[in-house]
Amino acid sequence: MAAKDSPLKQFEIDPISNIELGGYNISFTNSSFAMLITVLVITLFLTLTVNTRSIIPSRMQLISELMYNFIAQLLSDTVGDNGKRYFPFVFSLFMFVLIGNMVGMIPYQFTFTSHIIVTFALAAVVFIGVTILGFINHGIKFFTFFYIPGVPFYMHPLLIPIEVISYLSRPISLSVRLFANMLAGHTLLKVFAGFVVSMPFFTGVFPLAFIVALTGLEILIAFLQAYVFAILTCLYINDAYHLH
Amino acid sequence: MPQLNPEFFVSQLFWLAVFFTFLFVFLWRVSLPRIATVLEKRQNKIDENLSSAKELQEQAMEIEKKINDQINKAKLETDEKIKETINALQENVSSQLSSLDKDLEKKVSDAEKEILKSKDDQMKNINNEIVNITKLTVGKITDIELSDNELNKVIETHKGNFN
Repeated sequence: MAAKDSPLKQFEIDPISNIELGGYNISFTNSSFAMLITVLVITLFLTLTVNTRSIIPSRMQLISELMYNFIAQLLSDTVGDNGKRYFPFVFSLFMFVLIGNMVGMIPYQFTFTSHIIVTFALAAVVFIGVTILGFINHGIKFFTFFYIPGVPFYMHPLLIPIEVISYLSRPISLSVRLFANMLAGHTLLKVFAGFVVSMPFFTGVFPLAFIVALTGLEILIAFLQAYVFAILTCLYINDAYHLH
Repeated sequence: MPQLNPEFFVSQLFWLAVFFTFLFVFLWRVSLPRIATVLEKRQNKIDENLSSAKELQEQAMEIEKKINDQINKAKLETDEKIKETINALQENVSSQLSSLDKDLEKKVSDAEKEILKSKDDQMKNINNEIVNITKLTVGKITDIELSDNELNKVIETHKGNFN
């Protein structure tokens, strides 16, 4: 298959303007552009819709309030009162991933959440932050997180390494989940889009219909993955407060 | 796979850091406090309205109670008045009835007396008539002139036979 027609071509990064800083290539790329669009959409939407600050909200203001309440509820359900401090971060994370996924659903638009380096960086921020939080809250006692109470003592040599590995693999599972979902979804869309043009006569409408249905599914997944990312972040924050 | 090409890793991380930091700070400092104020304002308004509604309801209940009290009071008063009026009317009626009875009794007794008197008069007249008729009849038949006294005596002796 020629590189031009590869379904993975959509994930290629094209620099828009080449910038170099301290010997590093920090070019403004289509990925950066998608991030810029995402940030603009979020900030403008959340600012303009709530601009009037009306007590009886307009439809758009209601959307902003619903998002606010959605994450606030999520955080208070999983973490409780301690969670309020992390609300801006979890909300930013959720909105960034959600709108990033949604911007990616626009045809010919780059999906930055389909890049493992981006999702891994976000997951790493969560992982490192939560680990630091755990040490702040519990000090050296935080290591008892890997010790499961109520298990026969001879099981511990087996269980403690498993717990440590599962803890360390958190950022990987968190980032790969989002990355793989986006990668698979967009690749599948591209593959079926290829079928539309390559199939003879009018049989191309079948893959086209499939693409339409798949687009709906992808929008659902875009929301779901952002939700999963946010709720797992909440759960990790909760773990930093409550050891077993 | 373009994702594993490290050529643009630094660029991606750099712009991710820039944009995500900007987003986080902007939402934290600007957008979220705004939404929070709106929600708080609404909650305050709702609480205020609820409390004032409760107050008004209490006032309404108080007024209703007052109205009921007054209605009950008015009912009692009217009942009393109705009773009084009925009593007064009954007294009036009974007194009038008794005076009417008295009048009637008097009239009846008067009438009885008159009847008796006229009966006596009639009886006297009857005696005279009898005397006259007898005198005429006897005179026609026998040419005997009877005196009134004699006839009266005879009539008196036979009076029991007339009645």
